[in-house]
Order: sequence, then C-alpha cells, then structure tokens
Amino acid sequence: MPSLRASPPVFKESITVRELLTGPVHVRALTGEVGLDNSITDKSLHRPQLALAGYTEFFTYYRVQLFGNTEFFYLKSLSPERRAEAFARICSFNVPVIVCANDHVLEPDLLQLAEEKGIAVLATPFDTTKTIYLLSEYLDDQFTAQISVHGSFVDVYGVGMLFTGSSGIGKSEIALDLVERGHRLVADDIVVLTKKRESILMGTGTSLVKHFMEIRGLGVIDVREMFGIRSIRFQKRCELIVELEVYDEKREYNRTGLDESTMDLMGVEIPSVKLPIFPGKNVTVISETIALNYLLRTYGYNASKVFSDRLQEEIQRRRNTKGSVDQRTVTYFQSDDE
Amino acid sequence: MITTIVRVHNRAGVHTRPAAMLVKLAAQYKSEIYLVRDGFNINAKSIIGVMTLAAEQGCELELIVEGPDETDAASAIAKLFNSGFGEQM
Repeated sequence: MPSLRASPPVFKESITVRELLTGPVHVRALTGEVGLDNSITDKSLHRPQLALAGYTEFFTYYRVQLFGNTEFFYLKSLSPERRAEAFARICSFNVPVIVCANDHVLEPDLLQLAEEKGIAVLATPFDTTKTIYLLSEYLDDQFTAQISVHGSFVDVYGVGMLFTGSSGIGKSEIALDLVERGHRLVADDIVVLTKKRESILMGTGTSLVKHFMEIRGLGVIDVREMFGIRSIRFQKRCELIVELEVYDEKREYNRTGLDESTMDLMGVEIPSVKLPIFPGKNVTVISETIALNYLLRTYGYNASKVFSDRLQEEIQRRRNTKGSVDQRTVTYFQSDDE
Repeated sequence: MITTIVRVHNRAGVHTRPAAMLVKLAAQYKSEIYLVRDGFNINAKSIIGVMTLAAEQGCELELIVEGPDETDAASAIAKLFNSGFGEQM
C-alpha cells in the first residue's frame, strides 16, 4: 500500500480579472466594473504591438494584453481617428483584459471603446519589465499543477518536512511534538502542494483547516491559539519527505545513508527517508536529526560519505603498516584520570 | 480497488456530527479509504480531512476503497451516505 496517495494534479482552468485586483501587481481598474468577471485562461502574457499595427494573424487575444511604452506611445503618435481604428481592431477580439504599465492611462475614447466591448482596462504603477515579471509569476502560480496529500507538514530548522504514512500512525502527534520543541506547523492532515517554476514544490494547508489539527482521543485543537504565532507558518517549500511506517523486520532499511532515495511529486524529485517506527522510538528527535543532516548535506558535508572515506583510508593505512593497531581516539591519556 | 460515487442527502450536509460518524465507520476497516472532491483527495479516517470537504446537500463525492475488506467498507459507507446520517433529508 503506497503511503503517499496523491490525487492526480488539478489545474485551475481560469481566474477572473477581478482576482488580479488583489494580486501582487497593484493594478487599478480604469474601466470601473466593466469586464472584471472576464476569465483569464492562459498564464502567458501578450504585447499586442503588431495587432495594433494591423497584423492580427497569430494574435493571441485570449491572453492578458500588456500595454508597455511601445503600445502606449505608438497609439499616442497616431491621429485620433487612426488611433481609435487601431485600438478597435484589438477590441474586436474577445480580449479578457488590457494591463497598462507605468500607470499609462488610455485616452477616454479608447477606454470607452473597451467598455463597449466589455474589456477591462487596468493600470499598474510598475514599469513594463517589472509588470511582466510580477504578472507572469502570479499567473504561473495561479495556473500551476496542484495536488493534495495526506500528511503533516512542518518547518524543522527551516527545512520543510512532509510526514506521510497510514492513518493513525502518529503523524499529527509528531507534528505536535515538533511544535512543542519550537518548530513551526504549516499544515496537518491535508497538505496542498503546488509546483513553482520547474523544480520547487510549495506546500500549504487549506483555508478552512488552517492550523487546526486532530489528536486522537482528544479531538480538534487549534495550534495557533494554543502555541502562538511563532508555532505556525502559512507556506513552506517542501524539501524532505519522511515516510513513517510500522517497523517490518523483513524489510530493509537504509543503514549507511549512502543511498539517497527520492520521491517524484509532479515531476519534482524530493529526497525521501523511510522511517520505521516502533514503541519507545523518539521520532521527534530523529526528525530533527534528519533535518539537520539534510542541512549539513546542503552545505556540503555528508556524514555517511565522510565516514566511508575515513574507513577506506584506515584500511589503506593498515595494509601499508603491518604493526599493532590502537583503536582508541586518544592513544595516551596524559595522566587524565577523569 | 473500488471506486464509486456517493451523494450527500441530508439537508445539513456533512457537518461535524456526520463527519464523526463517517470517520468512526471508516476506522473500523483495514482498507485505505479516500474521498475525492474537486481534486482534493482526503483520507476518510481523518476527521479534519472529512470536514475539509465541507460537503453540502446534493454534492457528489468519489469514494475510493482499497484493501482486504474493501467490498464491505465501500458498501457500509455508501449506506451511511444514503441514510442521510440519520438526519433530515
């Protein structure tokens, strides 16, 4: 039985123009309520320079249309009639929204044209490059693949650790224990994972559950209320997966740490550790150790590798020197009787 | 593996009490039991999970059961949904 059953990734099919208003691009509507419920279905942007100039063959009208300096000053350079004609050309397509960078405000007659066609026109104070960056990142996030998994997600020493395992194995209890030791809970029970750019997985909880958690025998508790603001966070990059399972003596577990295993989630490889649990085992301390070991490895120190190299050297040394071997760390105790 | 659709019949939807009934029932079986809504895959043995669905009257959920007692588990859960959790329909 797989311990991590993730539903197939879901994708948002559309967002409304209205959602842009509360996004990070700081846009304001120039056309009032017009077109705010239009849907944006594509995460790419389009700069409609050629469409304004008359070439509409491959016009990707369904995308967010971005007016930078080029578009704005091109329109400004035209006579009022030709300007209206150029603008009406793109308005004749089913454009969801036009975003003007640099707080450029289109002429009133152009805004009226857009209003008549139900196209929202927004303005942002950012320059074109910044707008492209912010909008692309926002849209990328909105349209990214998303899955939900059953587990607990905790920030341990800054490492995002996802605990998985079958129901009742004690994921929530481990998360609670970690919180008690000063680590921060991101989500319990349902963890929503989204892919960011190509190789990053971000995890968060659901808006309904937030930082509530169920402890068997006790019921539902609110971690934020109980442990305070320092015990929680809203999102964290998922960097490690800890698969908890009941100890099975027939199974082989990693003993040296030289073989690193990973788990594929939406095409992102996340390092994973299979952790057998049995009564009396302090999983919390082991979890902290896993996090610290991960940090050491990230910063270039791999204990398994260092130990293995050391062993090789020792074998080599013994082959070369045929004398007696002292195994103690310190060979002479300097009258230290303590 | 059994995959079927269950529907919420009771007027109040799957609020705290029905959720607790569902979780208690699911926990009696060895099988892994999942409910899916809008791409959200939740474990039916988890009360927080079931409540997250915020399943209202008329809503349809996908039930996935996998394990040694999957047939019994699937029919018992379907029956519970059909009974409207003993509440007003």
